[in-house]
Amino acid sequence: MKLDVDADELAACVSCGLCLPHCPTYRVTGDESASPRGRIAAMRAIEADDRPLEGAFTEFMDLCVQCRGCETACPSSVPFGRLMEGSRHTLTESTRYQPWLTRAAYRSLRHHRLLLLGSSLLALAQRARLVPRRFGLPALPVRRTPLKASGDDVWLFTGCVMDAWLRPTHANTLRVIEATGAGVALPDDPGCCGALQAHAGLMHQARDLAERTMRAFPGEAPILVNSAGCGAQLKDYGHLLDTPEATAFGARVLDVHEWLAPRIATVPAPRGNHRRVALQDPCHLRHVQRAHLPVRTVLAPFVDVIELDDEGLCCGAGGAYSAQHPEMATAIRDRKVAAIARTGAKVVASANPGCALWLRDAGLDVRHPLDLVAEAMDGR
Amino acid sequence: MSSTEALVADLSRMLSPDRVRAEPLELALYGRDASVMEGQAAAVCFPLTTAEVQAAVKVARAHNRPIVPRGSGTGLAGGSVPVGERPPLVIVTTKMDRILKVDPERRVAWVEPGVLNLDLSHRIAHLGLHFAPDPSSQQSCSIGGNVANNSGGPHCLAYGVTSAHVLAVEVVLPDGEVTVLGSEDPDAEPTGYDLRGAFVGSEGTMGIATKIAVRLTPNPPAVITLLADYASVEDAAATVTEIIAAGIVPAALEMMDALITRAVEEYVHAGFPMDAAAVLLVEVDGLPEGTDAAANAVTRIALDNGAGNVRRAVDPAERALLWKGRKSAFGAIARIAPNYYLHDTVVPRTKLVEVLTKVYEIAARHDLTMMNVFHAGDGNLHPLIVFDRRDEGIMDRVWQAGTEIIEACVAAGGVLSGEHGIGLEKRDYMHLIFSPDDLDAQARLRAAFDPDEACNPMKVLPAGARCGDLQAVPAGAWI
Ligand SMILES: Cc1cc2nc3c(=O)[nH]c(=O)nc-3n(C[C@H](O)[C@H](O)[C@H](O)COP(=O)(O)OP(=O)(O)OC[C@H]3O[C@@H](n4cnc5c(N)ncnc54)[C@H](O)[C@@H]3O)c2cc1C
Ligand code: SF4
Ligand code: SF4
Repeated sequence: MKLDVDADELAACVSCGLCLPHCPTYRVTGDESASPRGRIAAMRAIEADDRPLEGAFTEFMDLCVQCRGCETACPSSVPFGRLMEGSRHTLTESTRYQPWLTRAAYRSLRHHRLLLLGSSLLALAQRARLVPRRFGLPALPVRRTPLKASGDDVWLFTGCVMDAWLRPTHANTLRVIEATGAGVALPDDPGCCGALQAHAGLMHQARDLAERTMRAFPGEAPILVNSAGCGAQLKDYGHLLDTPEATAFGARVLDVHEWLAPRIATVPAPRGNHRRVALQDPCHLRHVQRAHLPVRTVLAPFVDVIELDDEGLCCGAGGAYSAQHPEMATAIRDRKVAAIARTGAKVVASANPGCALWLRDAGLDVRHPLDLVAEAMDGR
Repeated sequence: MSSTEALVADLSRMLSPDRVRAEPLELALYGRDASVMEGQAAAVCFPLTTAEVQAAVKVARAHNRPIVPRGSGTGLAGGSVPVGERPPLVIVTTKMDRILKVDPERRVAWVEPGVLNLDLSHRIAHLGLHFAPDPSSQQSCSIGGNVANNSGGPHCLAYGVTSAHVLAVEVVLPDGEVTVLGSEDPDAEPTGYDLRGAFVGSEGTMGIATKIAVRLTPNPPAVITLLADYASVEDAAATVTEIIAAGIVPAALEMMDALITRAVEEYVHAGFPMDAAAVLLVEVDGLPEGTDAAANAVTRIALDNGAGNVRRAVDPAERALLWKGRKSAFGAIARIAPNYYLHDTVVPRTKLVEVLTKVYEIAARHDLTMMNVFHAGDGNLHPLIVFDRRDEGIMDRVWQAGTEIIEACVAAGGVLSGEHGIGLEKRDYMHLIFSPDDLDAQARLRAAFDPDEACNPMKVLPAGARCGDLQAVPAGAWI
């Protein structure tokens, strides 16, 4: 069976195993089938011998968090993310890999207003204790403070789930950007970046959303993103759509910290003692965008950044992963929680909403870096 | 019930069903390590304790199945590739990954075999200690694998290979008995034969290590790392000879040729020169003053021998990046071609240039791409042929060139393996350096541990080492 992957990219793995310790699912299981090298070998076995897609192969692929920690670890730069998305695309096309219910759920993310409404209803239900805690949902806001545009120097990508669940972070992001003297434009209907759909192998849905998103941000101004997962997806539109417009769009996208880092000196920093903050690098910032260093530059004047000692190992959130594989995701998270505990810091900074919600669910005080900066600006 | 099903059923009863696997696709993943060899397992199991290893060995023996121990599968000689007259049971140690005890006073730690080499050093870093053997695969390879292969690494030039850092090993013998070889007391002299010494380097043919007492080494107070670049491989090799002749024992002394340096630089961006014919990575350590003097002496020797530039790493971060480059070398190869086949010969340092020239010649004659990255300080060469196995007929040329390389190294007074082991891949070259009598003696040592050849069969010793008839790579293994 031919998978939807590039033959040379699939051949590029030399089976050295240097990626093994950087893979969260291998760390938890010690299973070759749950390692990057093993998953690549399984893809090759599917292509070389006539093996079924259903069963073991689907399980091996499905257990991958798509954190892409293996990509930064791989000296041969095997583009694992593309191999995995391609394999999942083949699975969704040729098997019942993503049942219609899941597909429908992913599709609903494109309806922004509906999502906001649904989220508010869910929040009310939470207040009424109608939603069991074991669903792993964070406490949702019932009302959201409206955001106000302030100019057209840069766009802020507000997104779907992020906007519904973490609007205060958007407000703080606006304030920090504005403190550098820039004016921020907001899209009418920001839509959804399509990351979750692409990771699930639902490429048609992902391409649809990409085209919609591109229309929402006309002009030349940089598009700043404060959610690492969305940023990674927006930057990748060139590869997804394979058009010059999409490539040009991708080039306008920056993680908000990348844009802020060279300008942060213009934002007045408080004097006195800083609070100690453990910094968690979201995989899509560190391993995909490789833009985790600017977060440190942005945070440094405002808090004491404490590094974790786990070389950016995934926390297990992985978009929808923690809901689909709660057991594995929790085992992965246990390692992250232990690494955070070793720092002794009481507060954790994370530049990705998915990671933040997932780690909060473990009882940690997790904040977006720009929430911390905004609070420090206020002297809080 | 098929014989495999019966094996799996018994194992599941003794371990637990979720730690015994025989699904065909999963088995295929255990057919390989980091070499190009391939085999076929009957089943794979993941014990958690010594008792479970013991149970697995006994079940396999009762079912007349050979056993193959496996750690992380980063071996480069096919050591954990399952071959045998009947497909073997692979016993994987990755789930036995606990550090059992650390004694900073006596500088000893007891670990399970699945603990990763670098994880141990990270976990004891706050005590100012580390585990000295540092194979380039140290982030991934298991200490059990290190013990089995008696692995070395760049810093083994000064600190010695794994054997010098293993005090005692608890072993499940091929008949299922448990014994402890050696003693955790660093000063104890072995009474009787040093069986610990025989076990370290036995490549899984004498049983399975289930607990290991390792020696911990204090971190040196001062470390200086130098990078010298050269317009010719000969100049770099001459520098190596002169450094050693001057009585300096660097902690590490590594050479990379042009192709490998470029591949590595594209990955790490550490500032390795993209146009050098060869680079030397030299590290000296010890007390601050002596270290500085040694670094100056090395710098002078390098410049005298034609180095274009000698760079000194300014901080630990830069040093780490240079080492990351060196240690990624094998892994970075797919930037040139997707497969590699390498040897691991040790030649006298004085013959370095001569052997290297030959090795490049052999590759050129077979129209193959050759790269060299190696532990220059102890003459441990890693001539690497890089290729794409999808090219028609290429494997024959690779094999042929490989054999000629080995012969050239042996002719220059070298040996087969510096550190990667003999495994499956190099066992048929054993007769090049050992006489039939030598091989017979080794076979009898092995038989003392494993009379039925049940533990990692067909590895290390050529088939029929005990009666002298040599066969090629066993049927059922292919590359
Ligand atoms: C990129 C790269 C760089 C490398 N660099 C070096 C280097 O610098 N120096 C060096 O020496 N090697 C090097 N190697 C080779 C390899 O990493 C080492 O041989 C390592 O020690 C193997 O460990 P492992 O856990 O992967 O063992 P495996 O590959 O799983 O097994 C190796 C052998 O050990 C046996 N074995 C494993 N565990 C046990 C056990 N508990 N009891 C008994 N037998 C056991 C197996 O049967 C097999 O014969 C490198 C490999 C790669 C891919
Ligand atoms: S993905 Fe990269 S690091 Fe992992 S085994 Fe393959 S080549 Fe090595
Ligand atoms: S993407 Fe993450 S989980 Fe998937 S194989 Fe790579 S490291 Fe492992």
